[in-house]
Amino acid sequence: MKKFNLKPAIFIGPHLIFFIVFGLLPSLYGIYASFTQWDLVSDPVWVGLDNYKTILFDKDSTFSYQFYNGLKNTFVFVVASVPFLIIIPLLVAAALENKGVKLKGLFQAILYVPGLISASAAALIWGLIFNAQLGFTSNVFGMDIPWAANQPYAWIIILILTIWGGIGGNLIIYRASISGIDKSLYEAAEIDGANKFQKFINVTLPSIRFPLLYTFVMTTAGCFNVFVQPLMMTRGGPNQSTTVLMMYIRDLAFTSGSSIAGMASAMAVLLGIVILIISIFQYVLMMRNSN
Amino acid sequence: MARTKSISKNSNLSKYLAYTFLIVLCVIWAVPLLFGITTSFRSQTEVVSVGFRMLPVDWVVENYIATLENTSTAPIMQWLFNSIFIATIHATLVVVMVSITAYGYTRLKFKGRDFLFFTLLGISLFPGVVNLIPSYKIIDVLGWVNTPWAMIFPGLAGMGNLFLVRQFMVGIPKELDECAKIDGAGDWTIFYKIILPLVRPVLIVVFLFSFTGSWNDFLWPVIVYTDVERMPVTAGLLLLQDIYGNYRMIGQLMSSAILAIIPTLLLFLFAQKYFIQSMNLNAGIKG
Repeated sequence: MKKFNLKPAIFIGPHLIFFIVFGLLPSLYGIYASFTQWDLVSDPVWVGLDNYKTILFDKDSTFSYQFYNGLKNTFVFVVASVPFLIIIPLLVAAALENKGVKLKGLFQAILYVPGLISASAAALIWGLIFNAQLGFTSNVFGMDIPWAANQPYAWIIILILTIWGGIGGNLIIYRASISGIDKSLYEAAEIDGANKFQKFINVTLPSIRFPLLYTFVMTTAGCFNVFVQPLMMTRGGPNQSTTVLMMYIRDLAFTSGSSIAGMASAMAVLLGIVILIISIFQYVLMMRNSN
Repeated sequence: MARTKSISKNSNLSKYLAYTFLIVLCVIWAVPLLFGITTSFRSQTEVVSVGFRMLPVDWVVENYIATLENTSTAPIMQWLFNSIFIATIHATLVVVMVSITAYGYTRLKFKGRDFLFFTLLGISLFPGVVNLIPSYKIIDVLGWVNTPWAMIFPGLAGMGNLFLVRQFMVGIPKELDECAKIDGAGDWTIFYKIILPLVRPVLIVVFLFSFTGSWNDFLWPVIVYTDVERMPVTAGLLLLQDIYGNYRMIGQLMSSAILAIIPTLLLFLFAQKYFIQSMNLNAGIKG
């Protein structure tokens, strides 16, 4: 008679339980809740596609306005921040590859450390830099601008905070990948008379295309979840022009008088679908180009 | 001759370009932090009357004293304690669970093992934003709103660290455990005596990133903590921005921000090589 083997259950069981309770169950319930009217307290009431219809097609409803405005602002943030979060660390990694450069550890540490600072503490510090009376920008550069209250300055301070704290992770991935490139590829390019710039384009970039793809997809998906930077720097202003979708979702579900969690769940599902589609699109696009 | 000369000229030029770029960038990166630190040592009278200066007229610690003495509206020491408690327990549990689970998925033989693992991995790629509201409901049902458990347990469901550690365990030759098995060692002995020491460096990295990740989490604590006494410091700073910001107490805002970042900075100073080493782990998998 075959005895039931208990050992796998002991080793993988605890994680499996956590995965089901805090991973699988919330995902399924989140999709279900998007088809309901729900106040987070009593049982959700099934309303079919009503939430989606309101959000997507009812132009007079505030929910529809919030969704499209939040999605637009989230896209603005993603499109403006992702290139910097890829290109700056890539250039830094290339500069740190230069054999003549000393103090590499120090440069790297200075650029890496802001990534370990919580975004809310970073926002307080950058708030001082852009402060009208005491700040750097007004006193050193003479830029006397109420940053958070005007566009495009409100976006600029959000982006600066994001880039400041956001390049460290990608920098470390790029440095590791570049240092792993086979040196003979560079030597071959040198024999062909390639200069530094040509070597970067023709050897370095193709050699690290998988880490580039990986960071591109992950950075983009991460940026779609933007929340803390606009909340702390502009409170979503001026005129909700920096209110991102996560802020509306949180307000609807958790801070308005009575929770509108069903509607918020529908917005969350739509945002999730957008993130999935874009991740897949990026993946296919880069895979095709790299072959 | 002319050719070597032009090459060395060329490489000098690229060296200076690299230096210029790095130095300019590092100045931009370092100045806000340094200016935040010096401002935290300015007196409130100086802040409102003297105007802009790089360095304080008098270096005073009154902001730090005032910040620490406020134990009602913005109890920052309590917040720091909450954050340290949450991040330490969370990171420790992640390391324990991830190492045991990864052993199960690499060393134990059972039907559908790899299928199960990759199914979980696939599900975990589902965008997390959908989970947010139901996760709150689950925490609420468990009675964990405004308790440390709200931040300690949900993260244990993660697949990223498990994937990383599993990759490393796959790379450890099976012959090692087979030899031990012949000597009569059971799974727990093999796990503890053979596998665990070999994956130690990865587990340290997992601990550090779980710790800093938990410490810097913002959206989730803002949702699950409404009790000022119970929240971690990141969520506390959002409250504090209104409390001190409304009275233009810039010095106290800065001293609070500096206090909030000291623990993770210390961690970086002591464990710098592991943070930087993590790149080799990443590159090993993704390269």
